[in-house]
Amino acid sequence: MKRLVRVAVVEPSDIICEGVKSLFVGSEYDVVCTTTNINHLIDRLPTYSPDVVIVGSQLVANLSQGVRYAYPNLQGVVLILLSTTVCDDEIVRYFDNVVNIYDSREQILRKMESAIEQNQTNPYSDSHDLSERERDVLVLVAKGMANKEIADKLNISIHTVMSHRKNIAHKTGIKSVAGLTVYALLNNLLDAADVNM
Amino acid sequence: MKSYITDTRNRAILSKDMKIIELLDVDYRLLSIFQRLDIQLPYGDISVEEMCDRYDMSIELFLMICRVYIESDYRPEVERLKVQDLSHLLKYLRASHQYYLESLIPRIARGIEQVLQLCEKSQRAILQRFYSGYVDDVKAHLRYEENQMFPYVESIIESGIVDQVKMGDFVDNHTDICDKIDDIKSIVIKYLPESCSTQQRCDLLFDIFALREELAKHTMLEMTILAPVVINSEFGRL
Repeated sequence: MKRLVRVAVVEPSDIICEGVKSLFVGSEYDVVCTTTNINHLIDRLPTYSPDVVIVGSQLVANLSQGVRYAYPNLQGVVLILLSTTVCDDEIVRYFDNVVNIYDSREQILRKMESAIEQNQTNPYSDSHDLSERERDVLVLVAKGMANKEIADKLNISIHTVMSHRKNIAHKTGIKSVAGLTVYALLNNLLDAADVNM
Repeated sequence: MKSYITDTRNRAILSKDMKIIELLDVDYRLLSIFQRLDIQLPYGDISVEEMCDRYDMSIELFLMICRVYIESDYRPEVERLKVQDLSHLLKYLRASHQYYLESLIPRIARGIEQVLQLCEKSQRAILQRFYSGYVDDVKAHLRYEENQMFPYVESIIESGIVDQVKMGDFVDNHTDICDKIDDIKSIVIKYLPESCSTQQRCDLLFDIFALREELAKHTMLEMTILAPVVINSEFGRL
């Protein structure tokens, strides 16, 4: 079975907290913590280890800086703003998505999903290390192989090769084949004798 | 206190009545534009209009070049420019090429050499070869413009006659020379061995960012001013 997504709700109103909780019943989201105080969550972050944190807008309305700066521990999680009051654009832009209390259940679930998806491709998110498969693809790219050849060699589809290449470019910040070759050589993924630059 | 008028987003509104010295208060990097247009110091208190008169340059063109440099979201509207106005733009573009080839690009090459001093020989060779490959690309790109595109535009300016339609081809053949410099930037920031000195790495990065920005602006001037004006005259056949 698919693992449930762990959700923490930080919101001063009990009614809204309970509302959010019941909304997620039967969905892929599991509310593991509800609290009125964001510091309470921060202190127990390893225990709850939420994937998504939903924050009530009243709690952040007075922040003088972005929520990700104010609470650096939340760097790696998906942050959703639960909008109950009017919020400054500056505040909003540090969140992955905004849910309004008048949104329907479907709208909310869709927004959650898109925020999670976006966060996975977020350039500031955790890991920039290449996965093992990405390294395999990188080495073959650096050796000068075309997408089709790589697909045949690794027994995967061209589409998958292309998606790996996109991720590699995204994670390394390097787009050209020559640049990727430099990366592979500097990281000892490849021997200089294997390439003709 | 600011000596110029600003819009609601606190950005300078450039006008022909501004003094050259005020333009420099808006953004000192415009100095390099004046240099490439061969505008001689001292500027005294002359206005943009007076300066353009003196150098027989279109005021609109001059302000467009300045705005491309200082406003990231600016797109020139070239309807009022004539192909004859472009001679100063060509002068500017040629001078920029010279600056890249004679100053910025060699300086980055030296910067790379210094940064890599303490690296293994093989690592040094890898990056140097990558950069020299990039420099070859840039040189080919600039040579193409100087030998093909610019003379074509100059022939139209001089003769006032358009007897062929070529600008579209030039635009199609315009290769990207920004991607690889981005790659070099990423490599220097993220992947060079720790033995490389931070100070030298930063010095090098300043030059890399400068070249990156220069090339982007350069492309912008060519694609949003030079090409549209020439294409307009090709269609109007002057």
